[in-house]
Amino acid sequence: MKALILVGGFGTRLRPLTLSVPKPLVDFANKPMILHQIEALKAVGVTEVVLAINYQPEVMQSFLKEFEIKVGIKITCSQEKEPMGTAGPLALARELLVDGSGDPFFVLNSDVISEYPLRKLYEFHQKSKGEATILVTKVEEPSKYGVVVLDEATGQVQRFVEKPQVFVGNKINAGIYLLNPEVLDRIELRPTSIEKEVFPKIAAENKLFAMVLPGFWMDVGQPKDYITGLRLYLNSLRQKAPEALATGSHVVGNVLIDSTAEVRDGCLIGPDVTVGPGCVIEEGVRLSRCTILRGVRVKKHAHISGSIIGWHSTVGQWARVENMTVLGEDVHVSDEIYSNGGVVLPHKEIKANILSPTIIM
Amino acid sequence: MCIRDRVGGPTKGTRFRPLSFNVAKPLFPLAGQPMIHHPILACTKIPNLQSIYLLGFYDEKEFSMYTSALSSELRIPVRYVRETKPYGSAGGLHHFRDVFLEEDPRFIFVLHCDVCCTFPLEAMLESHKVHGGVGTLLAKKVARDKANELGVLVADPETREVMHYAERPETFVSDLINCGVYVFSSALFDCLKSSASSRRGGSIRRVPSVDSFSPLRQGPSDYLQIDRDVIMPLAAKKQLFVYETPDFWEQIKTPAMSLRCSELYLEQYRRTRPEILASSSSSSPLTTSSLLNDKKGPTIVGDVFIHPSAKVHHSAKLGPNVSVAANARIGAGVRLIDCIILDEVEINENSIVTNAIVGWRGTIGKWARVQGGGNHAAKLGITILGENVTVEDEIVVVNCVVLPHKSLSQSVREEIIL
Repeated sequence: MKALILVGGFGTRLRPLTLSVPKPLVDFANKPMILHQIEALKAVGVTEVVLAINYQPEVMQSFLKEFEIKVGIKITCSQEKEPMGTAGPLALARELLVDGSGDPFFVLNSDVISEYPLRKLYEFHQKSKGEATILVTKVEEPSKYGVVVLDEATGQVQRFVEKPQVFVGNKINAGIYLLNPEVLDRIELRPTSIEKEVFPKIAAENKLFAMVLPGFWMDVGQPKDYITGLRLYLNSLRQKAPEALATGSHVVGNVLIDSTAEVRDGCLIGPDVTVGPGCVIEEGVRLSRCTILRGVRVKKHAHISGSIIGWHSTVGQWARVENMTVLGEDVHVSDEIYSNGGVVLPHKEIKANILSPTIIM
Repeated sequence: MCIRDRVGGPTKGTRFRPLSFNVAKPLFPLAGQPMIHHPILACTKIPNLQSIYLLGFYDEKEFSMYTSALSSELRIPVRYVRETKPYGSAGGLHHFRDVFLEEDPRFIFVLHCDVCCTFPLEAMLESHKVHGGVGTLLAKKVARDKANELGVLVADPETREVMHYAERPETFVSDLINCGVYVFSSALFDCLKSSASSRRGGSIRRVPSVDSFSPLRQGPSDYLQIDRDVIMPLAAKKQLFVYETPDFWEQIKTPAMSLRCSELYLEQYRRTRPEILASSSSSSPLTTSSLLNDKKGPTIVGDVFIHPSAKVHHSAKLGPNVSVAANARIGAGVRLIDCIILDEVEINENSIVTNAIVGWRGTIGKWARVQGGGNHAAKLGITILGENVTVEDEIVVVNCVVLPHKSLSQSVREEIIL
């Protein structure tokens, strides 16, 4: 089986992190985001993954080679010369996806993090015998999204309603699909939307089905949702693989600490924290609801909450970093400094307090 | 003989709230000592000092403990004289003149307690003896824009005689300000007497227009001001001279300024009494005696005062400009910068306090942050926690004034919390 991952553009919403690495390589829970998806695809028997990218950073190539070997899966790139929407990339990658086997293929949005219940999706698709199956997820405020109206008993999709003003349902497209190859025949080679142009047509022929996604779902394309997604992911990890989580008197709630990271005495870490490889967390540090990326040093008595600390940054003694502060790569927060929602571009030194959310160029 | 003027105006330090809810402003500690203690110690250096009078509007009871302790410590009589109504900065001197003249002093020093400076009283006295006349004023050159907010003097460059005085002039008059520290001969009282009787007679003297905004200034004949009723009539009459100081000078009107003045006094201790400041080495008796079962002291940066009864964990880091009062407890990994920590305050592990005053019996939780912007002139330039305020674990307080007995369980910024 094959799969297509829609990577898309520059990941501007995840800046300043994506100023240093392409979005798929930004770590989420100590693992590049796209690796979560590639591993889930491998687990369900996918042998070849196509990445639909509309720019081609050199740095991707070496990583993809590394993943190919590590995961044991073939990875190819399909590069858009112009933005092709959400359906255009499928037409563009047609030759890579169709191999004559007639097998359906997976399509994943790279921003979405979930438990990837791909086997269940496959089984559901086989049973419903539709042309395409999409995963849907329940949301609290369907009025913000495109709602999928479906037959609760069969899962057959009846219609799509974009940002409904009156309640028509609470399930939205989760951005994970299983498509038969004939879906590609419906897509022209031009910029086009799979949600708005392709799926409604399949639904009109009663060949589109939807399965409600079990477990969590989060679009982690921006920092605030990244932190929320992290909480959901770690909570899921607690259920499925609790042995991966850190334990000890210095840990509160769900915490993931890389085995090569060093955490010294007197710290209190958690809930919902990840500490990346090679990090040093010095004495008396408090971390909560945050991600500390690879190679970061957090100095004594610092306090970090609700923030993302970019690669190889340092946070000084008694510094306080909070309220969706995002430090880019190699940012250095001086001792005793307070950052309240500072968004700091790479390679900066922060020597003055940031009292309210500000972008530091 | 030395007189201390006006330890409390008729308003009793409302600008000094919320700290003045707990203590008369003159007793608020700067660099570990009551505000009034700094000028008093300067007085003790005057040769043949006869007595010290504290003249003010506060109730005697608020000062009785302080004055009795001080009298026995200094072996000089220290008396509190209470003004029963607003007399102005000189009216009390005139009203209680018999008290002050009892011992027939040759010289009388008059100081304002909310002035923060080095009080070079001996040098002023020497200068006064040389120049003669009724009095010598402490003066200082300041920036032009600051001068216009104060009383300014014009002095003869050769003779140092006071030629002219203006209160808060709208246009530039001089950059030499009156510091509110004086030495007078007993002729002062004659001058006050004639000022008082000239008002009683109802003679209308020309006064600068700025005086008219204050109704008190046109009050009864026993309401007298040093500037209007002593300096102005004696200017250009070879009776008043200035002694100019190059040292620091500030007025302590607000809590934010008290933090700045605490810093100035700590700096002065570094020069004059370094032994009472804390140091990082374990040799300091002040820090070693106050440790929690450890021989090592906390890390000290710059000028820091730690009361001997305070307990400071060896992993804490303090300074510059930090004063820690009696029985305070500073926990492990705490960082204090530019702050006054008052009696019995407890600061828990890994917290940071910077540009703040933490009131009596307050509690700061673990990993909390209490911070001010450090602008001493701004309204919320520093954070002030009143008595018995609790800041819970991990809470951030920035640029706030918190009134007594509040507990903060949410982070706050730029607020006055009633």
